Amino acid sequence: MTGRAEQRFSRRGVLAGTAAIAFLGSTRFGWTAASIAPFTIVINQSPWLDGFRKTVELYEKETGNQVELDVNPFAGSLEKQRNSVRASSGQYDLLMMNSGWFAEMYAGGFVEALTDIDSSFKLDPSVYTLNDSVYFDAKAKTMTPSGKLMSVPIQPLIPILYYRADLYKSAGLEVPETFDQLEANARKLNNPPKTYGIVQRGARGGYSVTWDFYPYLGGFGGSIYKDQTAGDYTVVLNNEKGRAALDYYLRLAREVGHPKTASLDQAEVIQNLVTGKAAHAIAVVSAQAQMDDPTKSAVVDKIEYAVPTHQPGINPAPPVGHWLGGIARNVPDDRKHAALQFLRWFQTRDAQMALARAGAIPISADVYRSPLAEERKFRWMKPLAKALEYSVNPFQFAESGEVIPIMELGLNRAVAGELTSVQALNSLAEQIYGIMSKYGYKTAKLEPLR
Amino acid sequence: MNEKMEALASSASTAARSAVGDFSSGRARLGEPLWKWATFSPALLLMLGLSVLPVANLVWMSFFNVTWSGGKAIWNSVGIDHYRDLVGDGLFGVGLLNTFIFAAGAVFGQMALGFLAALLCSRISRGRVLYRAVFILPILIPGIVVGAIWKLMLNYDFGIINELTGMVGLDAWDWLGSSSTALMSVMIVDIWHWTPFCFLLFLAGLESLPQDVYEAAQIDGANAWQEFFWITLPMMSSTIAVTFAFRSVLAFKVFDEVYLLTGGGPGTATQVVSFTLYQRFFSENRMGYGAAMSVVVIFVVSLMLVLSLSVKRRAGSTS
Repeated sequence: MTGRAEQRFSRRGVLAGTAAIAFLGSTRFGWTAASIAPFTIVINQSPWLDGFRKTVELYEKETGNQVELDVNPFAGSLEKQRNSVRASSGQYDLLMMNSGWFAEMYAGGFVEALTDIDSSFKLDPSVYTLNDSVYFDAKAKTMTPSGKLMSVPIQPLIPILYYRADLYKSAGLEVPETFDQLEANARKLNNPPKTYGIVQRGARGGYSVTWDFYPYLGGFGGSIYKDQTAGDYTVVLNNEKGRAALDYYLRLAREVGHPKTASLDQAEVIQNLVTGKAAHAIAVVSAQAQMDDPTKSAVVDKIEYAVPTHQPGINPAPPVGHWLGGIARNVPDDRKHAALQFLRWFQTRDAQMALARAGAIPISADVYRSPLAEERKFRWMKPLAKALEYSVNPFQFAESGEVIPIMELGLNRAVAGELTSVQALNSLAEQIYGIMSKYGYKTAKLEPLR
Repeated sequence: MNEKMEALASSASTAARSAVGDFSSGRARLGEPLWKWATFSPALLLMLGLSVLPVANLVWMSFFNVTWSGGKAIWNSVGIDHYRDLVGDGLFGVGLLNTFIFAAGAVFGQMALGFLAALLCSRISRGRVLYRAVFILPILIPGIVVGAIWKLMLNYDFGIINELTGMVGLDAWDWLGSSSTALMSVMIVDIWHWTPFCFLLFLAGLESLPQDVYEAAQIDGANAWQEFFWITLPMMSSTIAVTFAFRSVLAFKVFDEVYLLTGGGPGTATQVVSFTLYQRFFSENRMGYGAAMSVVVIFVVSLMLVLSLSVKRRAGSTS
């Protein structure tokens, strides 16, 4: 009897324990309920890495799950991802894909649709979809919500305008909205070598001068292709709008910019900002983390932020330089689910608030509407939220990796004075047209500029 | 040095023959050709696996366009199109030209400075360990650190080079960002990095030269210049040729310094062939075309090596 009673009690205990676990599983502690496989994120070394790393550490602390970060330089990250996804069995589970190469990963079939891993997975409605770049329709080769959900945004990086508020105040200047206003203000504040009116990023790189130039190109109403979303890859880079944009970009560099713009990369632009040498820069939003850091910056509390400038009547056009988290197709299912679990957590408001506090850029519009955005430290949030409304995706096709180096070289040569704006644009348009033709896209070209 | 090496090799060979004499006679009974192939084949297979197969794969790939779909590679044959396209590839042409200029300038600088330093140091008898340690320091520094050090030193706004030139009243100069000085700046960094390598080889060569020849020359009344031109240089010709071969091949393959310091720019001022190859193969993801470019580069490097070694042979037979 006694033995039987003890056994019954024991069963009850088990049932109670199971119920308790089920209860905990329905709460925020639910992340700890299941045993999750460790998984690896391949990621690049960027200004936002520290903030992301702290957020991952928070995830590990809250859930007990293990995440390994494999950190690489920008180009190295792409190589590692390519090697991993092309192998029969992948090394990396969650890929941090940049705007320059995520299309290659989608079109090559290297990442699995998140809803194919778990049909119940949904993107939080407050998460920015960044020109619908999280979706991919494999048949139409387009990025539209009619396609499958392929990734979750990790960093909604776009360029915003950085300007020296202290210099503006002493010179009695207004925050610029148009290119003319920006140029006028840059001329007033240009006092080389102490202060440069504006500092631009003219060096060749993985995706450097092209990205820096795009807010100007788009802000003048120009673009590289006629209408990518509709599948029209007619090259319109060398139209009058393109010429006006490049002439303006080069004029700023030569007359009110850094004397050696052709050799400046992103790190050097940021260096000029934090050392107080730049009065303006249209730079990646994640660089804000360094502006108020007294260990890195000589301009603490002196930098303000605004939406990138544009021509009157034309919308600003900050290009996405964002990072998307996609799950590799060739990794075991348990690791896919572990990575998905992380993405599910990453979208939550709490995680996004933690991400912002850690110095990275949140992907949830909720955060930009929260009281956090009113704090002085986060004064970049409102301009960024506004600019995100106008963000554009310059490269929406798998072969963008072939076009970007051509753009980098041509624009760099123009900035270095080796080519005129007309020569550069005509040459770029011709080469890009050749690539699009080679891969069978619907394309055409304009008459060369004269 | 050669005579010493030959004597050593000869005595080692004799000792080995005597030690394995009994075994050899037994081996002959087994059939020498079979035994030879059996012992040689593991090394042969290893060599084939590690060197020939990758190159063969590269050659094979160079006749295809490789694209990806559904996570799988799709190979489409294009014949010799990639090789034909190379002829019209401006970036490849400028890369080759810049590489030859770079290799010529850097190797000449390294060999001249290395030889001079070795000549001076070969006369020093005290503090050998110290000066050798100091001289070889640059070789021990990883390329990534060399790039970081020099990028900071040559920085337009904050670099120590411009700080120093500023002290003597010169304007700041963008060493890496100006088309006229970028390639030269990268060459200087390469010279700094690799001169110690030449120095070590030359010093070893100089220290092994027979002193009796110099003594005889002195008795005959030769001055220092005559000793240098008629004794040192001819006797060092073999070492010079080997050093030249090594450094030329390595200089032709330069990549890390360019990647770190200039990224091939400004424009195409520092676009070397390895960088073009990297760009086409990896950045642009054109595997077939990149393979064709690799094959051509391998051919050029091999040609350089063969030419260098034939020069060495000729120099060796003359000396």
